[in-house]
Amino acid sequence: MEIQQIENRLRGINIVLGALQSASRDICKNCIQLEGAKIKMGKMIKKLGMDLDAASICCEKTKADLQTRIDTLSKVAEELEVAEECTCQKTAKNCKIGEGCLINASVDLMKLVQ
Amino acid sequence: MARTRCGRILGAEIYIEEGDTTTLYFINQLRAYQLVLAALKALDQDICHDGCSLPTTVNRVIKRLGKLKNDLEASNVVAEKKESLLSKIDSFLADANRLPQDTSQTCRKAAGECLIGSGCFATGALNLFKEITVPEAPKI
Repeated sequence: MEIQQIENRLRGINIVLGALQSASRDICKNCIQLEGAKIKMGKMIKKLGMDLDAASICCEKTKADLQTRIDTLSKVAEELEVAEECTCQKTAKNCKIGEGCLINASVDLMKLVQ
Repeated sequence: MARTRCGRILGAEIYIEEGDTTTLYFINQLRAYQLVLAALKALDQDICHDGCSLPTTVNRVIKRLGKLKNDLEASNVVAEKKESLLSKIDSFLADANRLPQDTSQTCRKAAGECLIGSGCFATGALNLFKEITVPEAPKI
């Protein structure tokens, strides 16, 4: 059960980071929402690592494989490109999509993992 | 008329004339496609590659992109901008066509492999389009 839960969260994080990498190539690179999402995903990955450490997984190889995947995602999150000075791009009047936010909605994909 | 920045798509900064909602509609859609396709590419590396939800979603994206292309061609967007946006649609279509499209495979939930609960990442990725609420689609 513990392995499955960690596995599910890893799958979710992989997709969210894929979307955020794409957002970082859009005007979202200068957006405070992306800056926040990067921090949030970093914390989520760190927590996942701690949960893996605390999990009672007998098979060392399984645990090591999960750790490797966590490390890979951690690096991807760290390398998300965010501008040094960020402002909400809606406030800056650059993002004109309406009330929604592509970054927040991407992070919310994690809610699909129950 | 003043030009305003409104996106960066496939590495190109995009500007529109203030108030040009027709062009903005297509730009906003393309911003979403850029993100959705990235999420679908990530899913393609997951077990979703062997399922049916990812191909179903990919087929929907291809169909929607085709319609967007037709609408853009028929629109009154200025020629130079239209060509630039059409080339981006073609690039996204090429990306989408590289993703799985065979819907005859078994859903990974039904196969007992996808155990995330009742949600679906592929459907969730497609729902990212719902974030784009303005401007309304131009009447073509």
